[in-house]
Amino acid sequence: MAEAHGVWGWGYLPIFLLLFWATWLTRGAFLLFGEKVRLPQSVQMWLRYAPAAALGALVAPDLFLAGGEVAFKPELVAAVVVMVSAAFWRNPWAPFALGMLTLVALQNAFPG
Amino acid sequence: MSTQPPGATPEEPAWREALRLMMPLSLGLIPWSIATGLTMRAYGLSEGEAAAMNLFVYAATAQLGTLPLIVAGAPIAIVWLTAAVLNLRFVIYSAAISPAFHHQSWARRALGSYWLVDALFIVLGPRLTAEPDPERRWRMFFAAGLWCWWLWQLFGLVGIFGAEWLPRDWPLTFMGTIALLVLLVPLVKEAAMRVTALTSATVAILAYDLPLKSGVVVAVLAGLAAGGAWTWWHARRQGA
Repeated sequence: MAEAHGVWGWGYLPIFLLLFWATWLTRGAFLLFGEKVRLPQSVQMWLRYAPAAALGALVAPDLFLAGGEVAFKPELVAAVVVMVSAAFWRNPWAPFALGMLTLVALQNAFPG
Repeated sequence: MSTQPPGATPEEPAWREALRLMMPLSLGLIPWSIATGLTMRAYGLSEGEAAAMNLFVYAATAQLGTLPLIVAGAPIAIVWLTAAVLNLRFVIYSAAISPAFHHQSWARRALGSYWLVDALFIVLGPRLTAEPDPERRWRMFFAAGLWCWWLWQLFGLVGIFGAEWLPRDWPLTFMGTIALLVLLVPLVKEAAMRVTALTSATVAILAYDLPLKSGVVVAVLAGLAAGGAWTWWHARRQGA
């Protein structure tokens, strides 16, 4: 776990100011500019796939890699619990509570 | 979702109608915002930095997705591209909701761009584009936007300061992974999305050691290519 910057650390602030433009411009794409432009069907399809592609790429290393090597990790078991509870249970707290409990329990049961 | 929900009367104030419609889904923001607050602290952000990220970026997926890259010291271009890709779904929302912002001032459209979040688009999008009165459209959007923003900032702070009270040895960065997985669940009900996500996940693991954390970008492109190829192949088979 990274060392905290302290309550008044602001080292990352410039990064967040740059990221503001990334989120504001994507959300505003058609509100700020070209209101009359229509997106072609193929572009819409491609945009629809982007979140699935990004999410898959971002979660996979945390679930399958330990120190850069493929390993069986308790995170993978917890992830299955998270996805099943999110798919079959409407309670928005359930995936967070069950996922964390599963991970903490497995880490305590099999330390190291 | 009907455009004229039961119980709506012409005299009902715009803000009340907006909040009544938003209420069920917006409460789902609470666990997310607490989880995001906790995750930012778990990655080592200070309280001030975490609050600033909530304020300036105001996008759970973009925040959670870029945190590991930021902490690993990835180049800003990679971090920025990742945030933009994670937010690409909003380009669709933006296109779909833009008729509701016709005849609005630039300031309103700018604030609308900052406040456009998933719950707001899903619940209010159809209602707003069906509303003929631009002033009522704006009032409804304003009330819903302010409500979601306030919920997110407030419960974000609960997570940011609540992190101190949780056991230090809890793997709290996993909260971020949970939040991203929850978002993935409704997407992968569609076969083409499953192909996309599985491909990008596999490539992300294989390409993990690429320099400058560029494996993420390679993985996203591979996922998009696979999803597109799958759709094309499927459409051709059905056409034949």
